[in-house]
Formats: sequence, structure tokens, C-alpha cells
Amino acid sequence: MSKTKAESGESSASSIENVIVQLAKEKPSGISNDDIRNAIPDTPLEIWTKIINKLLKSGILELFKDQGVLLYKYKDPSKKTEIKGSDNEEKVVYKIIEEAGTKGIWIRDIRVKSNLNMTQLNKVLKSLETKKYIKAVKSVSASKKKVYMLYDLEPDSSVTGGAWYQDQDFESEFVDVLNQQCHRFLEEKRETSIKMGGGPLMARNRSYATASDVHKFISELGISKVQLSVNDIESILYTVVLDNKAERILNSSGEYLYRAIKTFLPTNGIVSTTCGICPIEGRCAENALINPKTCKYITDWLSD
Amino acid sequence: MSLYQGKLLHLILLERFGPIVADVGKALFEFPRSLFHVRKTTGFPLLKVKESLSILIKFNLASFKLNHDGTTATYRLIIDNILLMLRYPKFINLIKMKMEDEAETLVEELLYKGCSTASELIIKTATRLKENKDIGTLLKQLKDKFASLVTAKYFIRLKNANTQEQELFAVPTIDLKQLSSIMNGSDETPADESIYWTLNPDRFHQDLRDQLVVNAVTNKFDENTGELMRIFLQQMYIRTSPWVPVSNLIPVLEVKDIVKKQKTHPQLLAFFDQYVNILEQDGNNIIQKAGEASGGSFQIEMKKIFTQLTWEIMEQLVNEKFDTKASRIFRLVKCRRYIEPEEIQHLVMMPSKEVKRITYQLFEENFVLLNELKRSITNSGPNKSFTLFYIQLTQLVRTTLELSYKTLFNIMTRRHHEKFLNKRIIDKKQRVDTISMGMRVQGASVDQLTDIEEMITPPEAEALAKIGKMMKKLNVAELEIDDTIFLLQMYLAYE
Ligand code: SF4
Repeated sequence: MSKTKAESGESSASSIENVIVQLAKEKPSGISNDDIRNAIPDTPLEIWTKIINKLLKSGILELFKDQGVLLYKYKDPSKKTEIKGSDNEEKVVYKIIEEAGTKGIWIRDIRVKSNLNMTQLNKVLKSLETKKYIKAVKSVSASKKKVYMLYDLEPDSSVTGGAWYQDQDFESEFVDVLNQQCHRFLEEKRETSIKMGGGPLMARNRSYATASDVHKFISELGISKVQLSVNDIESILYTVVLDNKAERILNSSGEYLYRAIKTFLPTNGIVSTTCGICPIEGRCAENALINPKTCKYITDWLSD
Repeated sequence: MSLYQGKLLHLILLERFGPIVADVGKALFEFPRSLFHVRKTTGFPLLKVKESLSILIKFNLASFKLNHDGTTATYRLIIDNILLMLRYPKFINLIKMKMEDEAETLVEELLYKGCSTASELIIKTATRLKENKDIGTLLKQLKDKFASLVTAKYFIRLKNANTQEQELFAVPTIDLKQLSSIMNGSDETPADESIYWTLNPDRFHQDLRDQLVVNAVTNKFDENTGELMRIFLQQMYIRTSPWVPVSNLIPVLEVKDIVKKQKTHPQLLAFFDQYVNILEQDGNNIIQKAGEASGGSFQIEMKKIFTQLTWEIMEQLVNEKFDTKASRIFRLVKCRRYIEPEEIQHLVMMPSKEVKRITYQLFEENFVLLNELKRSITNSGPNKSFTLFYIQLTQLVRTTLELSYKTLFNIMTRRHHEKFLNKRIIDKKQRVDTISMGMRVQGASVDQLTDIEEMITPPEAEALAKIGKMMKKLNVAELEIDDTIFLLQMYLAYE
């Protein structure tokens, strides 16, 4: 009888422990004492404080203080377990990499900080990698350079290049599509604002859009598989400006306004013939092998 | 002076005056020479050389200067005037749009002759137009048209040593009675003998320039803004000489009055101030407010307009020659004036490899230039020097002009060549045409005429149609390239 009671006491303690760990896992920013009390209202205080103490001791929870409130945060056991079964060198290297956070760290810097020689370091890194404690991420800032960071960290955008990079490769086509869509949005806005009538000034002012307007439009289009920020759209819009298809001005609150524009000149004479834009113009002359009398470019252009 | 300009001149002279004049022109293009020298270089008989030189001089394509010895002269080619011949169709068209047909024919005839007295020109034109017309009225019309062409400065008097400045655009005495009796066969000397007139290209260029600006503004904004620009330009002439880079003040009320009076653009009138605002606030500085009195006054920034238009040509060139990515980079370098390669990549949103490839291409063809700055301090840090890209517009304009001449030369060469290749069939067509025309005059029957015309077989007719289309395309291209040349010349004129 007393034995069963002890058993049931134990089992209820472990189920409470589970509840708390689950709760902490769900809230990575940390849980407070109040959160716990609300989650398990009929468990007496001394019981769950004991459990918390046990969890803190075993390193499953961490204690934080935020604006005078005590918070418990769930700590991934994998981070702590790495210490087990690893030698000192691995621990040192692990620590250095952990400090580098989401930006990662280059192998050269690890070597300097750890004072290990290259062969040693390579061995350590390899072992940490196979144990899935760390990973190597290619950096966009320089090809062939890798940075190391903890296995389950999401790399910083300065490493991945942000929304425009997929595994270190710049996604040109994605940028092109966005460039076209941004322009389309501005152009349609320009056209509707003219159709709405009124004076030309009003039409012009109505045709301006902020990056947030365009951002909203692009998000609704759903063409992007990654989450784009307003700043990302701002960069895209600047490429539209550089393509001379839009202009941008600063409004009174320091925000950029964009507007589709047209050019002064229609296609100009020099670019409407073949020679003006000919790639081999430098090798072409009257009596040369490449010459205007037999030139294939002109022939094609003439039979267009 | 450029290589292709020389080749082009030769072709133009060849088309218009034949091989001898062309070769004489080529000899003069190389150096100004004396008669003796020209004969020696070309190897033509003296008589032919003399003839050629006099043709060139008559058409104002060459000039001469007496040497110190007082007996021989040095002849010099007037290159610009030869190139101008490519623009003649535009001149004629311009007058056709502005004035009536009689004026157009007058211009045509004068261009054909190079220079002429008023009486001679009017008689020549009258002979061409006299069909179904009363000679008296026709002569009167032509006289009036001639006077307006002089007053509007499209025609200018040929100078000699004693010509006064104010005589250049003074209408000469033209005696209508005398003209009609000359037309009836009498051999009187007209009253204005020895007063010769020629075309004043500057005046035509002014019109072409204004047309270009108005079209550009219309393209970028709309019809109404274009019209506003046109009136601004028209009013500019009242107080400003035509070719200054920035005009004198133009009171906006004056412009508004005209819009009100002409009643053609109600929308422009209703929102007049707004249209002015739009033109003024545009980032390209087309007009600039310079005075507040009586509703405000504006200046037209001709030089800035043409700088902007020239940039657009360059951007188009980069765009077509390479791709849109290249023109994006080109425009970024233009906006920043000086820019480091690393910064480019970030702003144009392209992979670094591509940016490197394109900037290298642009650099190789001189569209962008490179400036390497060395850090003066000796430190052996990594960043010992850094590079900056920039663009030299004027230099670029010069190379593009040369490219335009080459293009023109190539297209014209091709046109000649195609004509040569198809000579047999073109000649045949001409023969058939002459015959059928002759027979028509003699009153041949329809059947006879069809017989003659059927000498051209259907495949031949098809080939001829193809050749015709080809020639037309080449011709249009030549005129369009000249548009580019004109714009670039304007830029250089304002530089
Ligand atoms: S003639 Fe042909 S090869 Fe020569 S420049 Fe023109 S397009 Fe190029």
C-alpha cells in the first residue's frame, strides 16, 4: 500500500515534469512561475518547485531574469550532452563556435582562438560535424569560404545573403520576376491614376507608391516562397529605378515614393540597325573578311 | 576628322555627283590642296578637276583662299555641309509641314541647284508647277513664298566681300512682269542678277532641334505638356538668340495667353499651372523658375535637355549592345558619378560573377572608365588601392558619333552593293517603264501596254518588290541614323 502510494507520487512527479518541459519548449522566450501555476493549478507549490530545481540542476531549464520576473527557458539537451563523450579540445572548439552565434566563424579564426594546429582542428571539426553538434555553412560574401555554427542555428542573412540566395547561389530569376512585378504594379497605378481624371498634378501624385504598398501587393501575389521584408522590396524597387522605368523621390517623412515613368526618346536610329549594336564591329571593314556587303547580320535584318 | 567620316563623304559625293567629283573631294578631305596638287593626286585631266571644283564650290561644299603669290588658290572641303546633304529630305519635309507646297518646291529646287538668284529659282519652280495654273498668280505666290522663306531665315544670301550683315536676310527686288516675259522666251536680265541665295542650315537645325525637344517631352509626359513646351520654345525666340545654353526669362502669363487664344488644348488651359509645375518639377531640369514678377518667369535649359537626351541614347546603346543588366549597371555608375565595384553588386541585385563580367565588358568597350586610387600611406594592409568606375560622356559621344558614321557608311555601301547585284533586273524594269511610257504618250492601246508590261515575268516582279522593300528599309535606316548624329552634334554644340 505504502509502496503504491510512493509509486503514484513518483509517477505524478514525472508527469508534472513533462508538462513543465513541454510548456517551456513551446515558449522559447521563457516561462514564468505564473505560467506554471496556471498550467498545473492543483499541484502544490513545494512539489513543482522541487521539480523545477531538479530540471535546473540537470540543465534542462535555464533561469533568466527579465524586467524583475524570473523566467525559465528550455535548453536543448543536445547542447549540454555534447560535453559528454567529447574531449577537451572538442569542448573548446564547441565553445568558440557557440560564441560566434548565427554569424558563424571561419576556420582560421577558430584556429587562432583555440591555438590548435590545422590537423588537430580539422579532426575536431569533423568529429563535431558527424555528431551533428555543428555544421558548416557556405558564406555568400566569399565563395569557397565556409563558416561554422551550431547545428540547429538558422544562419544570419549576412551569411546566406538573405532572401536572394538559395544555397549561396544568387537567385537572379527570382529577382527578375520581382523586378517585373514591381514595375507592373507601378505602371498599373500610373495608368489608373490617369484614367481617374482630374488635373495632371493630381494624376501624378496619385501614381506614387511606397515600398510598403508594393510589398503588400507582392505578398498577396504569393510568388515568393520566402518571406520578403519591406526593405527587400525597397532594394528591388531601386533596380526598377535603375532600369529607368521608375523614379523615386523622398516624401516629407523621409520615406521613398516610387512612380512609373516613361523615357524621352523612342528607339534611336543607332540602335535600330545592326552595326550600331554589332558585337564584331571592330573586325568589320570594307574589304575585310567581315564586311558590310556580305554581312549576315544585315541580311537577316533586311529580310525581317 | 575621322576615318569613316572621310569614307562617308566619298560615298555621298559619289551618289550625288559621280566618281570624279567624289575623288576630288577625297583628295581635299586628306589635305587642303591647290588645283595643281589635286590634279596630281587624282590623275584626272585639268578640265575635269576644274569642273569638279566648281561644282563643289557652287554647292558650298568647298571653299578656296588665294595664296600669297596672288595667282594660285588653296581649296578646302567643307565637311559639315557635305554630311548635311543626308539631311536634305528632312529639310524639305519640315518646310512642307510648316508652309505650303510651293515653298516645298522652292526649297527642293534650291537644294538641287546649290545656289541661285531669286528670279532664276522662281522661274525654275514655276516651270515645274505651271501645269493647270495661271502663270501670273503662280509667280506672285512663288514670290511671296520666297520672301517668307528669306524673312524666316531659311534662305540666306551668299556673302561676298562687300555684303553687309543686314543684307543677309533682306528680300531682293523681284519684278513679276519681267519674270513672266522671261518665261515667255525673252532674254532680259532679271533685276536681281548676281544676288545669290542658298540654304541656311542653322535655321533648319533650330526647327529640327525644337521638334526633337517637343517630341521628347510629349513622349515622356503627354500631348499637353508637349504643347506647353512648344509654346515655351516659340516664346523663347522673342528675347533669346537661338543657340544659347540657357534661355532668357519667359513670362508664364505670355504662354498662358497663347494657350487661351489658340483654343486647341482645353485641358492644358484648364490645368495650366499644374502642367507648368509638372514640367518644372521634373528631375531633368527642363525649365527653371527664375523670376517671380507677374506670375513667374521661366528659363529653358537647352543644354541640360540635350545632356539628358544624350544619356538616353547611350543607355539605349548599352541596353541593345549588351542587355538590360548592363544598362542597369551603366545607369548606376552614371547616378553615382564614381562607384566602387563592390557597391555595384549590392545595388543592382545581380550575382557577383555577372557583375564582374558585365563591368569588364563595359570597360573594354570604353563605356565605363576605371580610376585606380592608391592609398598614399605605406602601410602594408590589404586595401592598398581601390578602384572606381566612372563615365566620360563627352568622350563617349565622340566614339558614338564615329560609330554612327561607320554605320551609315556600311548601310550605304550595302545599298549600293544590292543595287549592283540586282542591276540586270533593275535595268530591265527601267527599260520597260521607259518604253511603256513612250507608248502611252503615243496613245497605244491597253492591250499593247499590258503586252509590254508583261515582259516583266511574275518571278521578276516578285524580286523587284523585294528589292524595293529592301531599298526602302535601308533608306529609312540612313535617315534614322542621321537623327542620332543630329542629336549627338547638338550635345557637342552645347558642350
Ligand atoms: S556590317 Fe555587319 S559585321 Fe559590319 S558592323 Fe555592321 S553588322 Fe557588324
